[in-house]
Amino acid sequence: MKQIIIIGNSAAGIAAVESIRNKDSDCRITVISDEDYTAYCRCVLSYYLAGDVGEDRLVYRGQDFYKNNNVDLILGKKVVRVDPKKNQIVLEDKQKLDYDTLVIATGSSAKLPELKGIQKRGVFGLRTVKDVKEILGLLPVAKTACVLGGGLIGLKAGYALKKRGIDIKIIVKSKQILSQVLDKTAADIIQGHLGANGLEILTGLDAAELLGNGELKAVKLDSGKVIGTEIVIIGKGVAPNIGLIKDTAVKAGEGIIVDKFLKTSVENIYACGDCAQTYDFVLEKYQVNALWPNAVEQGCLAGRNICQENSEYLGSIGMNSVEFFGLPVVSMGIAREEAGMEVLSRLDANNKIYKKVILKDNCLKGVILLNRIENSGIYLELIRHKADISSVKNELLNDTFNYAKIMDLLGKDETIYLSSAGGTHV
Amino acid sequence: MKRLYYDIEKCMACKTCEIACCVGHSLSKDIMKAIFEEPLSLPRIKVKEKGQKPHPMSCRHCDEPRCVMACMTGCLSKDKKTSLVLIDKNRCVGCWMCVMVCPYAAIRPDQKTKIPVRCDMCKDLDMPQCVKSCPTQAIIWCEEEELAKK
Repeated sequence: MKQIIIIGNSAAGIAAVESIRNKDSDCRITVISDEDYTAYCRCVLSYYLAGDVGEDRLVYRGQDFYKNNNVDLILGKKVVRVDPKKNQIVLEDKQKLDYDTLVIATGSSAKLPELKGIQKRGVFGLRTVKDVKEILGLLPVAKTACVLGGGLIGLKAGYALKKRGIDIKIIVKSKQILSQVLDKTAADIIQGHLGANGLEILTGLDAAELLGNGELKAVKLDSGKVIGTEIVIIGKGVAPNIGLIKDTAVKAGEGIIVDKFLKTSVENIYACGDCAQTYDFVLEKYQVNALWPNAVEQGCLAGRNICQENSEYLGSIGMNSVEFFGLPVVSMGIAREEAGMEVLSRLDANNKIYKKVILKDNCLKGVILLNRIENSGIYLELIRHKADISSVKNELLNDTFNYAKIMDLLGKDETIYLSSAGGTHV
Repeated sequence: MKRLYYDIEKCMACKTCEIACCVGHSLSKDIMKAIFEEPLSLPRIKVKEKGQKPHPMSCRHCDEPRCVMACMTGCLSKDKKTSLVLIDKNRCVGCWMCVMVCPYAAIRPDQKTKIPVRCDMCKDLDMPQCVKSCPTQAIIWCEEEELAKK
Protein backbone atom coordinates (compact mmCIF):
# COMPACT_ATOMS: atom_id res chain seq x y z
CA MET A 1 0.00 0.00 0.00
CA LYS A 2 1.27 3.45 -0.87
CA GLN A 3 2.84 5.22 2.12
CA ILE A 4 2.67 9.01 2.24
CA ILE A 5 4.58 10.81 4.95
CA ILE A 6 3.73 14.41 5.76
CA ILE A 7 6.24 16.25 7.91
CA GLY A 8 4.36 19.07 9.57
CA ASN A 9 0.97 19.26 11.22
CA SER A 10 -0.26 22.78 10.54
CA ALA A 11 -2.00 24.67 7.70
CA ALA A 12 -0.25 23.02 4.75
CA GLY A 13 0.08 19.53 6.23
CA ILE A 14 -3.57 19.35 7.26
CA ALA A 15 -4.76 20.69 3.90
CA ALA A 16 -2.66 18.01 2.20
CA VAL A 17 -4.26 15.29 4.34
CA GLU A 18 -7.74 16.53 3.49
CA SER A 19 -7.20 16.75 -0.23
CA ILE A 20 -5.49 13.35 -0.39
CA ARG A 21 -8.37 11.76 1.51
CA ASN A 22 -10.87 13.37 -0.88
CA LYS A 23 -9.33 11.28 -3.64
CA ASP A 24 -7.78 8.29 -1.97
CA SER A 25 -9.13 6.60 1.11
CA ASP A 26 -6.73 3.64 0.93
CA CYS A 27 -3.18 4.98 1.03
CA ARG A 28 -1.36 5.15 4.35
CA ILE A 29 -0.80 8.66 5.65
CA THR A 30 1.62 9.41 8.48
CA VAL A 31 1.82 12.94 9.87
CA ILE A 32 4.83 13.87 11.99
CA SER A 33 5.18 16.95 14.16
CA ASP A 34 7.87 18.05 16.57
CA GLU A 35 5.22 19.71 18.72
CA ASP A 36 3.05 17.94 21.30
CA TYR A 37 -0.34 19.15 20.10
CA THR A 38 -2.85 18.21 17.44
CA ALA A 39 -3.18 20.91 14.76
CA TYR A 40 -3.76 24.33 16.25
CA CYS A 41 -4.36 27.85 14.96
CA ARG A 42 -0.98 29.47 15.01
CA CYS A 43 -2.43 32.84 13.98
CA VAL A 44 -4.79 32.76 16.98
CA LEU A 45 -1.89 32.56 19.45
CA SER A 46 -1.79 36.33 19.88
CA TYR A 47 -5.53 36.33 20.73
CA TYR A 48 -4.81 33.60 23.31
CA LEU A 49 -1.93 35.63 24.69
CA ALA A 50 -4.25 38.64 24.93
CA GLY A 51 -6.83 36.60 26.81
CA ASP A 52 -9.39 37.28 24.05
CA VAL A 53 -9.87 33.51 23.60
CA GLY A 54 -9.20 30.50 25.80
CA GLU A 55 -6.82 27.65 25.03
CA ASP A 56 -9.74 25.53 23.77
CA ARG A 57 -10.19 27.93 20.85
CA LEU A 58 -6.73 27.12 19.52
CA VAL A 59 -7.88 23.73 18.24
CA TYR A 60 -7.78 23.71 14.43
CA ARG A 61 -8.30 19.97 14.01
CA GLY A 62 -8.90 17.75 17.02
CA GLN A 63 -8.03 14.09 17.72
CA ASP A 64 -11.10 12.88 15.81
CA PHE A 65 -9.75 14.45 12.61
CA TYR A 66 -6.82 12.02 12.55
CA LYS A 67 -9.06 9.08 13.35
CA ASN A 68 -11.70 9.99 10.77
CA ASN A 69 -9.07 10.47 8.08
CA ASN A 70 -7.17 7.34 9.04
CA VAL A 71 -3.94 9.19 9.76
CA ASP A 72 -1.06 7.83 11.86
CA LEU A 73 -0.01 10.80 13.95
CA ILE A 74 3.47 11.03 15.45
CA LEU A 75 3.79 13.95 17.85
CA GLY A 76 6.77 15.36 19.71
CA LYS A 77 9.37 14.00 17.31
CA LYS A 78 11.56 16.03 15.03
CA VAL A 79 12.56 14.78 11.62
CA VAL A 80 16.27 15.48 11.39
CA ARG A 81 17.07 14.23 7.93
CA VAL A 82 15.53 13.27 4.60
CA ASP A 83 17.29 10.64 2.54
CA PRO A 84 15.80 10.87 -0.97
CA LYS A 85 18.05 8.08 -2.29
CA LYS A 86 16.59 5.58 0.15
CA ASN A 87 13.12 7.18 0.25
CA GLN A 88 13.56 7.42 3.98
CA ILE A 89 13.35 9.96 6.75
CA VAL A 90 15.25 9.88 10.03
CA LEU A 91 13.75 11.01 13.31
CA GLU A 92 15.74 12.54 16.15
CA ASP A 93 15.57 9.25 18.06
CA LYS A 94 17.32 7.58 15.06
CA GLN A 95 14.10 5.82 14.00
CA LYS A 96 13.85 5.50 10.22
CA LEU A 97 10.61 5.57 8.25
CA ASP A 98 10.11 4.67 4.58
CA TYR A 99 7.90 6.62 2.24
CA ASP A 100 6.65 6.38 -1.31
CA THR A 101 5.75 10.05 -1.40
CA LEU A 102 6.98 12.71 1.02
CA VAL A 103 5.37 16.07 1.78
CA ILE A 104 7.59 18.57 3.53
CA ALA A 105 5.37 21.04 5.37
CA THR A 106 7.73 21.89 8.20
CA GLY A 107 6.75 25.56 8.39
CA SER A 108 9.00 28.28 9.69
CA SER A 109 10.50 29.50 12.95
CA ALA A 110 10.97 32.92 14.46
CA LYS A 111 14.13 34.55 13.15
CA LEU A 112 16.37 35.34 16.07
CA PRO A 113 18.73 38.27 15.52
CA GLU A 114 22.37 38.02 16.51
CA LEU A 115 22.07 39.93 19.70
CA LYS A 116 24.17 39.72 22.84
CA GLY A 117 22.10 38.21 25.64
CA ILE A 118 19.42 36.69 23.44
CA GLN A 119 19.62 33.34 25.27
CA LYS A 120 18.49 34.92 28.55
CA ARG A 121 15.38 33.71 30.32
CA GLY A 122 12.52 36.02 29.38
CA VAL A 123 13.22 36.22 25.65
CA PHE A 124 10.60 34.65 23.39
CA GLY A 125 9.30 34.28 19.88
CA LEU A 126 5.52 34.22 19.38
CA ARG A 127 5.27 31.10 17.33
CA THR A 128 4.13 28.13 19.38
CA VAL A 129 1.72 27.26 22.18
CA LYS A 130 4.83 26.68 24.29
CA ASP A 131 5.99 30.27 23.68
CA VAL A 132 2.63 31.65 24.80
CA LYS A 133 2.42 29.46 27.90
CA GLU A 134 5.88 30.54 28.98
CA ILE A 135 5.08 34.22 28.44
CA LEU A 136 1.82 33.81 30.37
CA GLY A 137 3.79 32.23 33.19
CA LEU A 138 5.91 35.37 33.52
CA LEU A 139 3.01 37.85 33.45
CA PRO A 140 2.41 37.88 37.23
CA VAL A 141 5.94 39.14 37.84
CA ALA A 142 6.26 41.37 34.77
CA LYS A 143 5.48 45.06 34.59
CA THR A 144 7.05 45.95 31.27
CA ALA A 145 7.62 44.09 28.02
CA CYS A 146 9.63 45.10 25.00
CA VAL A 147 8.85 43.88 21.52
CA LEU A 148 11.63 43.88 18.96
CA GLY A 149 10.20 44.40 15.48
CA GLY A 150 7.27 46.39 14.12
CA GLY A 151 5.87 43.72 11.82
CA LEU A 152 2.57 41.92 12.23
CA ILE A 153 3.83 39.52 14.89
CA GLY A 154 5.51 42.27 16.85
CA LEU A 155 2.43 44.48 16.85
CA LYS A 156 0.09 41.60 17.67
CA ALA A 157 2.34 40.63 20.57
CA GLY A 158 2.33 44.23 21.78
CA TYR A 159 -1.44 44.45 21.44
CA ALA A 160 -1.88 41.21 23.37
CA LEU A 161 0.34 42.14 26.30
CA LYS A 162 -1.18 45.61 26.50
CA LYS A 163 -4.55 43.92 26.93
CA ARG A 164 -2.99 41.98 29.80
CA GLY A 165 -2.11 45.26 31.49
CA ILE A 166 1.61 45.17 30.75
CA ASP A 167 3.47 48.34 29.76
CA ILE A 168 4.59 47.89 26.17
CA LYS A 169 7.44 49.34 24.22
CA ILE A 170 7.76 48.30 20.60
CA ILE A 171 11.21 48.87 19.18
CA VAL A 172 11.25 49.21 15.41
CA LYS A 173 14.46 49.45 13.46
CA SER A 174 12.94 51.08 10.37
CA LYS A 175 11.32 54.50 10.18
CA GLN A 176 7.81 53.03 10.16
CA ILE A 177 5.88 50.05 11.48
CA LEU A 178 4.71 47.25 9.14
CA SER A 179 7.34 48.29 6.61
CA GLN A 180 7.04 45.00 4.71
CA VAL A 181 3.32 45.34 4.05
CA LEU A 182 2.32 49.02 4.22
CA ASP A 183 3.48 52.37 2.92
CA LYS A 184 4.34 55.17 5.33
CA THR A 185 0.97 56.92 5.06
CA ALA A 186 -0.99 53.86 6.21
CA ALA A 187 1.65 52.89 8.77
CA ASP A 188 1.64 56.34 10.37
CA ILE A 189 -2.14 56.30 10.78
CA ILE A 190 -1.99 52.88 12.45
CA GLN A 191 0.95 53.93 14.60
CA GLY A 192 -1.04 56.95 15.81
CA HIS A 193 -3.99 54.69 16.54
CA LEU A 194 -1.83 52.20 18.48
CA GLY A 195 -0.22 55.08 20.38
CA ALA A 196 -3.64 56.44 21.34
CA ASN A 197 -4.44 52.98 22.68
CA GLY A 198 -1.38 52.91 24.89
CA LEU A 199 1.27 51.14 22.81
CA GLU A 200 4.53 53.02 22.88
CA ILE A 201 6.35 52.64 19.58
CA LEU A 202 9.96 53.68 19.12
CA THR A 203 10.94 53.83 15.44
CA GLY A 204 14.42 54.17 14.00
CA LEU A 205 15.91 52.34 16.99
CA ASP A 206 17.27 48.86 17.46
CA ALA A 207 18.25 46.72 20.41
CA ALA A 208 22.02 46.54 20.94
CA GLU A 209 22.12 44.16 23.90
CA LEU A 210 19.88 42.32 26.30
CA LEU A 211 21.04 42.86 29.88
CA GLY A 212 20.65 40.78 33.04
CA ASN A 213 22.25 37.98 35.01
CA GLY A 214 20.74 34.88 33.41
CA GLU A 215 17.32 36.46 33.75
CA LEU A 216 16.45 39.36 31.51
CA LYS A 217 16.49 42.73 33.26
CA ALA A 218 16.72 45.34 30.51
CA VAL A 219 17.15 46.12 26.83
CA LYS A 220 19.97 48.40 25.80
CA LEU A 221 19.20 50.31 22.60
CA ASP A 222 21.68 51.36 19.94
CA SER A 223 21.11 54.93 21.09
CA GLY A 224 22.58 53.96 24.47
CA LYS A 225 19.25 54.21 26.27
CA VAL A 226 18.42 51.34 28.65
CA ILE A 227 14.83 50.17 29.16
CA GLY A 228 14.07 47.97 32.15
CA THR A 229 11.95 44.97 31.10
CA GLU A 230 11.11 41.46 32.24
CA ILE A 231 9.97 40.15 28.85
CA VAL A 232 11.31 40.55 25.33
CA ILE A 233 9.36 39.23 22.37
CA ILE A 234 11.16 38.91 19.09
CA GLY A 235 9.12 39.76 16.00
CA LYS A 236 11.77 39.88 13.34
CA GLY A 237 10.08 37.67 10.79
CA VAL A 238 10.30 33.95 10.18
CA ALA A 239 12.78 31.60 8.52
CA PRO A 240 11.76 28.36 6.74
CA ASN A 241 12.53 25.11 8.61
CA ILE A 242 14.63 23.40 5.96
CA GLY A 243 17.56 21.95 7.93
CA LEU A 244 16.31 18.42 7.25
CA ILE A 245 17.06 18.61 3.50
CA LYS A 246 20.55 20.06 3.86
CA ASP A 247 23.05 18.34 1.54
CA THR A 248 20.36 16.38 -0.30
CA ALA A 249 19.13 16.58 -3.89
CA VAL A 250 16.14 18.64 -2.73
CA LYS A 251 16.91 22.09 -4.09
CA ALA A 252 16.46 25.09 -1.82
CA GLY A 253 17.07 28.81 -1.76
CA GLU A 254 15.61 30.65 1.19
CA GLY A 255 12.97 27.92 1.22
CA ILE A 256 12.48 24.64 -0.62
CA ILE A 257 11.94 25.48 -4.26
CA VAL A 258 8.81 23.98 -5.80
CA ASP A 259 7.37 24.00 -9.30
CA LYS A 260 3.79 24.85 -10.21
CA PHE A 261 2.71 21.40 -9.05
CA LEU A 262 4.30 21.98 -5.62
CA LYS A 263 6.88 19.36 -6.47
CA THR A 264 10.51 19.78 -5.37
CA SER A 265 13.53 18.91 -7.50
CA VAL A 266 13.04 15.30 -6.35
CA GLU A 267 10.27 13.43 -8.15
CA ASN A 268 8.37 12.01 -5.16
CA ILE A 269 8.93 14.87 -2.71
CA TYR A 270 6.54 17.81 -2.42
CA ALA A 271 6.85 20.93 -0.29
CA CYS A 272 4.20 23.42 0.76
CA GLY A 273 3.51 26.14 3.28
CA ASP A 274 6.01 28.38 5.05
CA CYS A 275 8.99 26.15 4.23
CA ALA A 276 8.37 26.38 0.49
CA GLN A 277 9.67 28.95 -1.95
CA THR A 278 6.93 29.40 -4.51
CA TYR A 279 6.27 31.54 -7.56
CA ASP A 280 4.90 34.91 -6.44
CA PHE A 281 2.52 36.07 -9.18
CA VAL A 282 2.86 39.74 -8.29
CA LEU A 283 6.64 39.91 -7.91
CA GLU A 284 7.03 37.34 -10.71
CA LYS A 285 9.83 35.54 -8.91
CA TYR A 286 10.27 32.70 -6.44
CA GLN A 287 9.59 33.85 -2.93
CA VAL A 288 8.74 32.55 0.53
CA ASN A 289 5.28 33.95 1.32
CA ALA A 290 4.82 32.49 4.77
CA LEU A 291 1.11 33.14 5.22
CA TRP A 292 -1.78 30.93 6.31
CA PRO A 293 -3.97 31.20 3.15
CA ASN A 294 -1.01 30.47 0.88
CA ALA A 295 -0.07 27.46 2.99
CA VAL A 296 -3.55 25.94 2.88
CA GLU A 297 -3.87 26.38 -0.88
CA GLN A 298 -0.43 24.87 -1.45
CA GLY A 299 -1.11 21.92 0.83
CA CYS A 300 -4.42 21.32 -0.89
CA LEU A 301 -2.87 21.34 -4.37
CA ALA A 302 0.11 19.24 -3.32
CA GLY A 303 -2.35 16.65 -2.01
CA ARG A 304 -4.30 16.61 -5.24
CA ASN A 305 -1.18 16.29 -7.33
CA ILE A 306 0.01 13.38 -5.21
CA CYS A 307 -3.27 11.79 -6.30
CA GLN A 308 -2.34 12.37 -9.95
CA GLU A 309 -4.60 15.33 -10.52
CA ASN A 310 -2.08 17.71 -12.13
CA SER A 311 -3.55 20.84 -10.57
CA GLU A 312 -1.47 23.87 -11.41
CA TYR A 313 -0.76 26.44 -8.71
CA LEU A 314 -1.13 30.00 -9.94
CA GLY A 315 1.33 31.10 -7.29
CA SER A 316 1.51 32.84 -3.95
CA ILE A 317 1.04 36.46 -2.99
CA GLY A 318 1.90 38.55 0.01
CA MET A 319 -1.44 39.42 1.59
CA ASN A 320 -2.44 40.36 5.09
CA SER A 321 -5.57 41.26 6.97
CA VAL A 322 -5.28 42.53 10.51
CA GLU A 323 -7.21 44.70 12.92
CA PHE A 324 -5.90 46.68 15.88
CA PHE A 325 -8.30 48.22 18.39
CA GLY A 326 -11.13 48.32 15.85
CA LEU A 327 -9.05 49.63 12.93
CA PRO A 328 -8.88 47.03 10.13
CA VAL A 329 -6.35 47.03 7.33
CA VAL A 330 -5.78 44.79 4.32
CA SER A 331 -2.70 44.85 2.13
CA MET A 332 -1.93 42.77 -0.93
CA GLY A 333 0.98 42.57 -3.34
CA ILE A 334 3.52 45.38 -3.25
CA ALA A 335 3.11 48.28 -0.81
CA ARG A 336 5.45 50.78 -2.39
CA GLU A 337 5.46 51.84 -6.01
CA GLU A 338 8.52 51.38 -8.18
CA ALA A 339 9.63 53.31 -11.24
CA GLY A 340 7.12 53.10 -14.09
CA MET A 341 4.19 52.41 -11.80
CA GLU A 342 1.12 54.51 -11.28
CA VAL A 343 -0.53 55.23 -7.93
CA LEU A 344 -4.13 56.10 -7.18
CA SER A 345 -4.96 56.95 -3.61
CA ARG A 346 -7.58 58.53 -1.40
CA LEU A 347 -6.89 59.70 2.12
CA ASP A 348 -9.35 60.80 4.79
CA ALA A 349 -7.01 61.16 7.74
CA ASN A 350 -9.68 62.35 10.18
CA ASN A 351 -11.59 59.10 9.76
CA LYS A 352 -8.43 57.01 9.38
CA ILE A 353 -9.53 55.94 5.92
CA TYR A 354 -6.91 55.33 3.26
CA LYS A 355 -7.13 53.48 -0.01
CA LYS A 356 -4.28 53.04 -2.40
CA VAL A 357 -3.74 50.97 -5.51
CA ILE A 358 -0.50 50.54 -7.40
CA LEU A 359 -0.76 49.94 -11.13
CA LYS A 360 1.67 48.81 -13.77
CA ASP A 361 0.50 48.96 -17.37
CA ASN A 362 -3.06 49.24 -16.04
CA CYS A 363 -2.75 46.03 -14.04
CA LEU A 364 -3.01 45.98 -10.26
CA LYS A 365 0.24 45.21 -8.44
CA GLY A 366 -0.60 46.26 -4.93
CA VAL A 367 -3.46 47.43 -2.77
CA ILE A 368 -3.73 48.98 0.68
CA LEU A 369 -7.17 49.36 2.24
CA LEU A 370 -7.34 50.99 5.65
CA ASN A 371 -10.63 51.11 7.52
CA ARG A 372 -12.57 50.31 4.31
CA ILE A 373 -11.81 46.66 3.67
CA GLU A 374 -15.22 45.48 2.45
CA ASN A 375 -14.25 45.13 -1.20
CA SER A 376 -10.74 43.76 -0.75
CA GLY A 377 -11.42 40.42 -2.44
CA ILE A 378 -12.29 42.14 -5.71
CA TYR A 379 -8.87 43.74 -5.89
CA LEU A 380 -7.26 40.38 -5.20
CA GLU A 381 -9.28 38.93 -8.07
CA LEU A 382 -8.07 41.70 -10.39
CA ILE A 383 -4.47 41.03 -9.35
CA ARG A 384 -4.85 37.26 -9.80
CA HIS A 385 -6.28 37.65 -13.30
CA LYS A 386 -3.81 40.37 -14.30
CA ALA A 387 -6.92 42.20 -15.53
CA ASP A 388 -6.65 45.43 -17.51
CA ILE A 389 -8.50 47.93 -15.32
CA SER A 390 -8.45 50.95 -17.68
CA SER A 391 -12.25 50.88 -18.06
CA VAL A 392 -12.86 51.08 -14.29
CA LYS A 393 -9.88 53.21 -13.31
CA ASN A 394 -11.99 56.19 -12.21
CA GLU A 395 -14.10 53.96 -9.96
CA LEU A 396 -11.35 51.84 -8.39
CA LEU A 397 -11.21 53.75 -5.11
CA ASN A 398 -14.95 54.34 -4.70
CA ASP A 399 -16.68 52.59 -1.82
CA THR A 400 -19.37 51.56 -4.35
CA PHE A 401 -16.83 49.62 -6.42
CA ASN A 402 -18.13 46.07 -6.67
CA TYR A 403 -17.85 42.71 -8.38
CA ALA A 404 -20.41 43.52 -11.10
CA LYS A 405 -18.11 46.26 -12.35
CA ILE A 406 -15.18 43.88 -12.83
CA MET A 407 -16.79 40.64 -13.99
CA ASP A 408 -16.28 41.44 -17.68
CA LEU A 409 -12.59 42.09 -17.07
CA LEU A 410 -11.74 38.67 -15.67
CA GLY A 411 -12.08 36.63 -18.83
CA LYS A 412 -14.10 33.86 -17.23
CA ASP A 413 -17.71 32.75 -17.52
CA GLU A 414 -20.16 34.42 -15.20
CA THR A 415 -22.95 32.04 -14.36
CA ILE A 416 -25.30 33.51 -11.79
CA TYR A 417 -26.62 36.54 -13.66
CA LEU A 418 -29.28 35.79 -16.23
CA SER A 419 -31.38 37.93 -18.46
CA SER A 420 -34.99 37.11 -19.24
CA ALA A 421 -34.64 39.54 -22.14
CA GLY A 422 -32.33 36.98 -23.76
CA GLY A 423 -28.70 36.02 -23.38
CA THR A 424 -27.12 34.90 -20.16
CA HIS A 425 -24.14 36.71 -18.77
CA VAL A 426 -25.03 40.32 -18.47
CA MET B 1 -27.05 21.91 -4.54
CA LYS B 2 -29.59 24.66 -5.00
CA ARG B 3 -27.98 27.98 -5.73
CA LEU B 4 -29.18 31.57 -6.10
CA TYR B 5 -29.40 33.04 -9.59
CA TYR B 6 -30.52 36.52 -10.52
CA ASP B 7 -32.52 37.70 -13.51
CA ILE B 8 -31.14 41.16 -13.74
CA GLU B 9 -33.80 42.28 -16.25
CA LYS B 10 -36.43 41.67 -13.60
CA CYS B 11 -34.53 43.21 -10.69
CA MET B 12 -35.66 46.76 -9.95
CA ALA B 13 -33.20 47.38 -7.12
CA CYS B 14 -36.08 47.77 -4.68
CA LYS B 15 -33.94 46.03 -2.04
CA THR B 16 -36.88 44.14 -0.58
CA CYS B 17 -34.49 41.16 -0.48
CA GLU B 18 -32.08 43.08 1.75
CA ILE B 19 -34.84 43.86 4.22
CA ALA B 20 -36.26 40.33 4.16
CA CYS B 21 -32.74 39.03 4.79
CA CYS B 22 -32.24 41.33 7.80
CA VAL B 23 -35.59 40.36 9.28
CA GLY B 24 -35.06 36.68 8.58
CA HIS B 25 -31.76 36.77 10.46
CA SER B 26 -33.00 38.95 13.32
CA LEU B 27 -33.86 37.60 16.75
CA SER B 28 -37.50 38.66 16.62
CA LYS B 29 -38.20 37.90 12.91
CA ASP B 30 -40.44 40.96 13.08
CA ILE B 31 -39.50 44.03 11.06
CA MET B 32 -40.85 46.50 13.62
CA LYS B 33 -38.82 44.88 16.40
CA ALA B 34 -35.77 43.97 14.33
CA ILE B 35 -34.84 47.61 13.73
CA PHE B 36 -34.35 48.12 17.47
CA GLU B 37 -32.22 45.04 18.02
CA GLU B 38 -28.66 45.37 19.19
CA PRO B 39 -26.56 44.35 17.36
CA LEU B 40 -28.58 45.22 14.30
CA SER B 41 -29.23 42.36 11.90
CA LEU B 42 -27.40 43.19 8.65
CA PRO B 43 -28.34 42.06 5.14
CA ARG B 44 -26.36 39.10 3.77
CA ILE B 45 -27.47 40.05 0.27
CA LYS B 46 -26.69 43.46 -1.21
CA VAL B 47 -27.96 44.92 -4.44
CA LYS B 48 -25.00 46.51 -6.21
CA GLU B 49 -24.99 48.42 -9.46
CA LYS B 50 -23.10 48.25 -12.68
CA GLY B 51 -23.99 51.28 -14.73
CA GLN B 52 -27.77 51.45 -14.38
CA LYS B 53 -28.20 47.70 -14.00
CA PRO B 54 -28.76 46.30 -10.52
CA HIS B 55 -26.79 43.18 -9.57
CA PRO B 56 -27.72 41.42 -6.33
CA MET B 57 -24.71 39.87 -4.58
CA SER B 58 -24.46 37.24 -1.93
CA CYS B 59 -22.28 34.28 -1.00
CA ARG B 60 -22.19 31.70 -3.79
CA HIS B 61 -21.13 28.83 -1.56
CA CYS B 62 -18.30 28.15 -4.03
CA ASP B 63 -17.19 24.62 -4.87
CA GLU B 64 -13.66 25.54 -3.86
CA PRO B 65 -14.27 28.33 -1.39
CA ARG B 66 -11.29 30.65 -0.93
CA CYS B 67 -12.73 31.88 2.35
CA VAL B 68 -12.55 28.39 3.81
CA MET B 69 -8.94 28.03 2.67
CA ALA B 70 -7.98 31.39 4.16
CA CYS B 71 -9.79 30.89 7.47
CA MET B 72 -7.07 30.67 10.07
CA THR B 73 -9.33 29.45 12.88
CA GLY B 74 -11.06 26.71 10.92
CA CYS B 75 -14.45 28.25 11.76
CA LEU B 76 -15.45 28.25 8.09
CA SER B 77 -16.03 24.88 6.47
CA LYS B 78 -17.55 23.43 3.32
CA ASP B 79 -20.23 20.98 4.40
CA LYS B 80 -19.91 17.77 2.42
CA LYS B 81 -23.60 16.85 2.73
CA THR B 82 -25.26 20.16 1.89
CA SER B 83 -22.41 21.79 -0.07
CA LEU B 84 -22.97 24.95 1.98
CA VAL B 85 -20.15 27.01 3.43
CA LEU B 86 -20.84 27.00 7.17
CA ILE B 87 -19.50 29.18 9.95
CA ASP B 88 -18.94 28.21 13.57
CA LYS B 89 -19.35 31.66 15.09
CA ASN B 90 -17.90 30.57 18.43
CA ARG B 91 -14.53 29.96 16.81
CA CYS B 92 -14.35 33.12 14.68
CA VAL B 93 -11.96 35.84 15.90
CA GLY B 94 -12.82 38.49 13.29
CA CYS B 95 -9.49 38.42 11.44
CA TRP B 96 -11.28 39.23 8.14
CA MET B 97 -9.11 36.84 6.10
CA CYS B 98 -12.34 35.61 4.47
CA VAL B 99 -13.25 39.18 3.54
CA MET B 100 -9.80 39.65 2.03
CA VAL B 101 -10.04 36.67 -0.32
CA CYS B 102 -13.70 36.47 -1.39
CA PRO B 103 -13.58 37.03 -5.18
CA TYR B 104 -17.12 38.47 -5.14
CA ALA B 105 -16.79 40.69 -2.06
CA ALA B 106 -19.82 38.79 -0.80
CA ILE B 107 -18.47 38.66 2.78
CA ARG B 108 -18.48 41.85 4.81
CA PRO B 109 -16.99 42.61 8.21
CA ASP B 110 -19.54 43.40 10.94
CA GLN B 111 -17.63 45.71 13.24
CA LYS B 112 -20.23 45.32 16.01
CA THR B 113 -20.16 41.55 16.33
CA LYS B 114 -16.67 40.99 14.86
CA ILE B 115 -18.19 38.15 12.83
CA PRO B 116 -18.38 38.27 9.02
CA VAL B 117 -21.77 38.87 7.43
CA ARG B 118 -22.39 36.09 4.92
CA CYS B 119 -25.38 34.37 3.31
CA ASP B 120 -26.27 31.08 5.03
CA MET B 121 -28.89 30.24 2.40
CA CYS B 122 -31.49 30.46 5.23
CA LYS B 123 -30.56 26.83 5.83
CA ASP B 124 -32.89 26.43 8.80
CA LEU B 125 -35.93 27.77 6.91
CA ASP B 126 -37.95 26.33 4.06
CA MET B 127 -36.42 28.67 1.51
CA PRO B 128 -34.12 31.72 1.36
CA GLN B 129 -36.02 34.81 2.51
CA CYS B 130 -34.69 36.90 -0.40
CA VAL B 131 -36.27 34.49 -2.87
CA LYS B 132 -39.55 34.46 -0.98
CA SER B 133 -39.74 38.24 -0.75
CA CYS B 134 -38.72 39.32 -4.25
CA PRO B 135 -41.77 41.05 -5.78
CA THR B 136 -40.58 40.48 -9.37
CA GLN B 137 -39.27 36.92 -9.00
CA ALA B 138 -35.84 38.14 -10.04
CA ILE B 139 -34.13 35.79 -7.59
CA ILE B 140 -34.18 32.16 -8.66
CA TRP B 141 -33.31 29.36 -6.27
CA CYS B 142 -32.67 26.07 -8.05
CA GLU B 143 -30.25 23.34 -9.06
CA GLU B 144 -27.94 24.24 -11.91
CA GLU B 145 -29.57 21.61 -14.14
CA GLU B 146 -33.02 23.13 -13.62
CA LEU B 147 -31.80 26.54 -14.65
CA ALA B 148 -32.13 25.94 -18.38
CA LYS B 149 -35.87 25.37 -17.94
CA LYS B 150 -36.40 28.68 -16.19
